[in-house]
Order: sequence, then structure tokens, then C-alpha cells
Amino acid sequence: MPPEGAEQHYRNGLLSMRRGDADGALQEFDKALVRHPGLADAVVARAELLDGLGRWQEAQHEYERARRLWSEMPPGPPDRRYLFRRRGDFAFEIESYELVRSNVRNKVLPQLAYGNAQLLRGRPKEALDSYERALRVKPNLPEVLALKGEALSAMRRYDEAIELFNRVLAIQPVDAETLSARGIAHMALGKLAEANEDWRRQLELLPPMQSAARACAAMRRANYDVAFHAFGLALAKEPRNPYWLLYRLTAGRLIGAPLDPIVLPAEPHWPTPLLALRAGQATEQQVLAAAESSNRRVEALFQLGVVALAGNPAAARGYWSEIVERGAPSLIEFAAARNELVRLGA
Amino acid sequence: MFSVILYGRNDSHGYNLHKRAAISFNALAEVMSDPDDEILFVDYNTPDDHPTFPEAIHDTLTDKAKKVMRIFRVRPDQHAHLRSKTHLVALEAQSRNVALRRSNPRNRWILYTNTDMLLVPRNEQESLSDILGRLADGFYQVPRFEIPEMLWEAAFDRRDPAGNLAKLRDWAVRFHLNQVVHNYMPMKYDALGDFQAALREDMFAIHGFDESMILGWHCDSNLAARLALYRGRVDTLIDKVFGYHCDHTRVAAANNKGRATRMNDQDQFIWNVASPYVPAQAETWGWPDVGIEELRLDRDTSYERFTAGLASTIEPSTVPFTTTSLEWQLFEDLTYDLPHTLPFVCDQVVTFPRTTAIMLAATRADFLEGFAKAWKAMGFTGPLLVPTECEGLPSDLEGVVRASFEELLPRADLFIFEFGLSTQTASEPVRAGRVMAPIDKKRLKVVERLFKRAAVTEEETRPAARRVPRRFIGVNVIYNKFWTAFTDYVGANINPFCSQVLAGLPRQDESMKGKVLRFRARHAL
Repeated sequence: MPPEGAEQHYRNGLLSMRRGDADGALQEFDKALVRHPGLADAVVARAELLDGLGRWQEAQHEYERARRLWSEMPPGPPDRRYLFRRRGDFAFEIESYELVRSNVRNKVLPQLAYGNAQLLRGRPKEALDSYERALRVKPNLPEVLALKGEALSAMRRYDEAIELFNRVLAIQPVDAETLSARGIAHMALGKLAEANEDWRRQLELLPPMQSAARACAAMRRANYDVAFHAFGLALAKEPRNPYWLLYRLTAGRLIGAPLDPIVLPAEPHWPTPLLALRAGQATEQQVLAAAESSNRRVEALFQLGVVALAGNPAAARGYWSEIVERGAPSLIEFAAARNELVRLGA
Repeated sequence: MFSVILYGRNDSHGYNLHKRAAISFNALAEVMSDPDDEILFVDYNTPDDHPTFPEAIHDTLTDKAKKVMRIFRVRPDQHAHLRSKTHLVALEAQSRNVALRRSNPRNRWILYTNTDMLLVPRNEQESLSDILGRLADGFYQVPRFEIPEMLWEAAFDRRDPAGNLAKLRDWAVRFHLNQVVHNYMPMKYDALGDFQAALREDMFAIHGFDESMILGWHCDSNLAARLALYRGRVDTLIDKVFGYHCDHTRVAAANNKGRATRMNDQDQFIWNVASPYVPAQAETWGWPDVGIEELRLDRDTSYERFTAGLASTIEPSTVPFTTTSLEWQLFEDLTYDLPHTLPFVCDQVVTFPRTTAIMLAATRADFLEGFAKAWKAMGFTGPLLVPTECEGLPSDLEGVVRASFEELLPRADLFIFEFGLSTQTASEPVRAGRVMAPIDKKRLKVVERLFKRAAVTEEETRPAARRVPRRFIGVNVIYNKFWTAFTDYVGANINPFCSQVLAGLPRQDESMKGKVLRFRARHAL
């Protein structure tokens, strides 16, 4: 999430743009980017401004920079609800849909889009408020109930989330995304059997062409045979996705499948250190040092557990226990670790 | 790299439709550079006896446009189940989904636009394929710029797309054309339907366009709303490509009735959209189980089929011209020139589906022989249904099915009734005062009786799966005694005598005369 100051300057820039104050807008975007150089929304806004001023050469560079920044953001897991698979800052969306919902009142879409952007920015409370406004327009709309459930889940109000997911699934029993969401909430509460059953059902519903989503769902329930095969298919479709390679190696190791030598990606950024660990080219300390966020630490701990399992199950148990204690339940590694701990008798 | 999806119908959507469409097709092809690129045109609900819209203007298209274009023909009978639910004759969501389902799976991108758009890469060295090829996954729009109607009408050369794009680059500056019109999100720009680029995979995931939108308008906004939810962002390609629209507001479009325009509900389809998906059509969007004819302009064209058909059955003329006459004293003379007539008969059928089953009730054996050869050589696979009541006709011809009229009636998709003289020979002069022989009269009476009965019972004898009326073609029914008989029952135009042929759908004449005629025909009085 960008620093608040950056976002405020970005918003000021948009307001200046709308007023026709190009210089003022440029200054605000510059300030936003000083505070947060990776704020792609500000970069592209600046590009459009420059382009409109006839400075196309400069603008072109900025357009490309914004696209590069977006493409470097990791996409979310494909087995989750559509909104979690996106890349972006969503600063533009928050600002735009705020404007829409104040002008196009009593409609669902502006509230939903605004809520989704806020949820992705890590502000589930604001998202919840927006979804509840949408529900006042169309009470009991299953799509919005499901999103409200996601917001509650993000706020760790799992019981309430499950109640909503149950209502949605009573109306739409084949809603694979809500099954995924309920599985996560169940797993957060330690209800492994219920969680695994939701993901089993989700796997049944996902078509074969959605191989990455199938693979992730299988990984959550620690069904490594299915995961190994499905990640192979996903990798064939997206050969440059390092996570599919990493997870395929993980699933393969856990089922004892023969694996090809690991070719490390040229890009050193995350999750390359995890692949390096698996290739024997990085130490535990190096991997943990490279894990700059709590979610990355969870990913690192999971891989350390996988590597340790055969020779030192107690160490594996230790790594995975930390994931369950501190990790976000929405992570694939959280569910997989919890399932593995049960297998280890922990 | 990408499939462009367009739709339309061979009708009169403004007086200059043909010109702007040709300009657009050629310009779109011009910015394609990947061998997998394609223009998918869904020709929706054009009458069966008309060519598709691109076929109608093929001579104005460049070789490149013809090469990359695939035409999917949705027949009136395939639209019939929706006819009572909409005032429109061409449906956008259905059309675009039919194309999406059948698009090249190797293409990563789908580009939705319309047949009056020109896309101009800002970098002249780049094609649209280059641009899309380097683009990250996403959902992209560009603003639409307007070209004043007189400019494109007067200055564009349909077959010079590169020249037209160059002119646009110049006009954009000289005439201040480039005005970006922003819109509320998720419709980033006004007139967004003229450029929406989405991943093919995304379009399949969200189940295509919403096919419940059958009243026109807002299909593009609905798609934007759903893709914006699905992707989270709506990205711009304004730095890469400008989109220009051939303004055509002198004559309002067919679905534009000013303030009285009927349209899809904005609240339902835009502002209250709550999901990217349309689960109700998850298995059915784009009509995956419906056989949709695909036509090409660069191979196996209607012209090629037509000429192949005729070449199989008639020899080139050996004289500079032949003669006939429509003078009234010859009203009873039913001789006609078969080699001259067959091209006009084939012209009536060549646009129909190749699987068409056609009933042919005739008097002249040489007509049946000649037409049967042409039918096969034109690539038709459906049978020729010849009633056994028609005597004196060969029964051993390939593709001919002989059975009783009553048995064949519910199997026919199309009818030909030929009113000639079974005794006419190939060498005798035409319309020279020939008198009918008794056997001619007998056989003509049979054909006339079958014709009338077929016409008045058309609806009740229609094949079970068919929803639209069947067409009747009359051969040798102009300026002779069967002219009135044919047009009493079939709503045919006034055609020149020289064409020898009339065609149309059964008349629904509710006058007393019409009722009497139908009663007599039904009971063969």
C-alpha cells in the first residue's frame, strides 16, 4: 500500500487536472512519485498530461514505465475470487468510483467497484461499508453478499463471513469462487475438514482449461498429485510464471516425483530466492533476509519446511507452525502448512 | 495476435454505409501484420436470398482485407426464436459472441469495434499487431475521435487504406479532430464500443457479451462494467493508437429514433451490474452447438460457385444474341430459352445454405437435368426433391429424390416451380407462337396444382425445426398465363421479362379474393 501522502498528492493531481491546471497537476504527481516512486497510477496520469501538452516523447516513456510497474506487481492466486487476481494500486479506481458513487446514486456497481478497490488496498472496513451500501440498494444480491463475506474475512470476522458464504452457496451452489472463500475462512478457524471439502468441491467445478486455478486449489488442500499435474499444465501455458515452477517443484517433491534440474529465472526478484533455495543455491538465512514482507516470509517458511521434511521433520513442523500462527489464512501456504501439520501429527 | 469482431447486416443502415464499411474493413486489415490476425464479421439475419454484407461490397475491399476476413452467416431462421422479443433485426451480443466462440484460439486478443472505424497507430512503423503483441494482460480502451461526414465521404478512397490513414494523420492536426471525451468509470471514454481490447481468455471466462441485451445500446458499457470488475482496471492505449469514427449522422441509424429510441435498461446492464460473469449463459453463449456457415472472400466465393454451377450445365453461346418477345399475342406461348434462364434461376438459390433441400416441380426434363447439374456443381449438398406427380422427368439423376408431393412437402426448405412446355426441344425458336400439346397442358396443370397447394399450406407443412417462411421461385412466370397464377399466391416483385424468374414468400392476402383463392388451391378446385 503506497504511503498516504503519495495518495493524497495523487488525488490532488487528478483534481488539478479536472480543473484544467496542468502545471499544478504535474507538480502534485511529481510529489506523489517522490513519496512513492512505484505508484503506477500517478505515472500514467502524468503521462496522459504530458501527452495532452504535446510532449509525446516524454509521455511515451512514462506510459511504458507505468505498464512496467503494473506488470511487476504479482498477480493474486487464480483460485480465489476474481478481484484478488488483479495487479495495481487502484488509487485511480478509488478516486474515480468515489466520484461515480456520489453522482450515480443508489446503484450497485459504483459501490461494488469502490469497495473492491478499497479491499485490494487493504482497507476492508471501507470495503465493507461500500458493500453494505450496495446491499441497501439490492438486498440479498448473492454477488454482493459474497463480497461482503470477503471483506469480513479480511477483517478476521470468519464466522460472519462463513454465514454469508453459506447464504450465497444456498442460492448458487456451483459458485466456485465462494467455495474458495469459505474454504479459506474455515481453514482460518481450524476447520480443516470443512475447508478441504470446500476446495474439493471447487476443484470439481473448475474446468480443465483453468489449470492454474485448479492447481492452487489442490495445493491448498495438500492434494499434491493433482497439484503437480495441474501446475505442469499451468506452466506450459505460462512458462515464465516463477510461482508455477516453484509450486510444481514443491508438489513434486512432496509426492516423490522425479524433477528436472532447476533453471533459475534471470530476474533476481521474488520468488527467485525460493527457487534458488530449492536448487541448493541459497541458504535459509539468505532466503529469510530476502523475504521483505510477512507474506513472503510465509512463502519462505513453507519452502524451508518442504526442504527440511525428509531429513528433519521436527524442523519442518517448526517452520509450518509459525505459518499457522502468524500467516494470513488466504495464502496457499497457510492451508498447505496446516494440512501438512496434521499429517505430521502436530 | 488478435481477432477483430464486427457485425452487421446487408441492409440500408444510412445511405453511405457501404463506403464507410469498406473504408473501415480495409483500414483494419492494413494495420494487421501477424499471420493469425483475422477480421471476424458476423452477418446477422440478412435474408437468405441476399449475399452477406461483405460479399455485397467485396469489389471495394483490398486483397488483404479479403484474405483476413472470415464471415459467419447467422440465418434468419437462426434468429427467429428471438424475433418476438426485440424490435431489432441485428443483435449485437449474439453476433459478437458467435464470432468469439469461433475466433482463432491462437490469438491472445479480441478487439471489439465497428464497421465505421479506422485505427491509426501513432508510430507509423508499428502495426496494431505489434502494439498488442507487446502489451501486458489487461482491458484496454482508446478514445474515439470523429471525422466530419463530408471529409471521409469526399476524400477517402475505399481501396487506399494507407492513403486514408495518412490523410487522417494530417486532418487530425489541421481540423482539430482529436478531442478526448472522458466518461464515468468504468466507461473510460465516450463511445467506448469502438475500441475495446480484451484477452480472449478473459472473454471466455466472463461468458462473452450478455445475450439478454436484445433491445440495442449499452452492450459496450455492460462489457466495460464486467471487464472492469474482472480486471480491476481499465487501461488506455491512447499512447499507441488513435481511433477515428466516420461520422454518419445525416441519416439516423436504424436503432436511433431520437428520444423515442428503445434500448436496454441502463440501470440493469450498467449501474447495477454486480458480477463479471453471466452464469445463466455459461454453456450457451455464442451458440456453440449451432452450425454457423463460414464464408470467405478470398476462396470458394459465391461467384466462383455460381460460375462453376453454370459451367457444368451450359455451353457458351455461339451467337451474338438470341431473341424472344413479350408481345401480348404470345401470352399463351410458354417456350423459353433454357441456357438463358438457368443463370437467373441459379442466382436465386446460390446464397442459400448448402444443406438446403429444394423442391423442384417442373415440366421440362432438360430444366431438371440442367438445374441438377448446376446445383451439385455449386456445392449444394441438400437433395433435389421432385414429386412423382410430375411425370416425364428423369428419376436417375444424382441427388434427386423422387417421392409423392405430400411426402416431400415437409422436407423442403425452398421451392422451384417451372412452367414450361415438356415438348419444347432445344433447337426450336422461342416465343414464336407455339401452341401447347395436350401433354403440355396436362403436365402444366399438375405443376400449377402443386404450386398452389404448396403456397397455401406452406406454414402448416413447414419442417418442424424451421421458423421462417419458405421462398418460392417461379420459372417462366412473367408476361404469360402463369404470371397471375404465381403472383396471386406469392408476393413477388415486378421483374423484367428477360430474367424469366419471379420469387417471393407466400402471400397473406386477407381479402375475399385471397380467401377464395386459398380455399380453391387447398382443395384443388
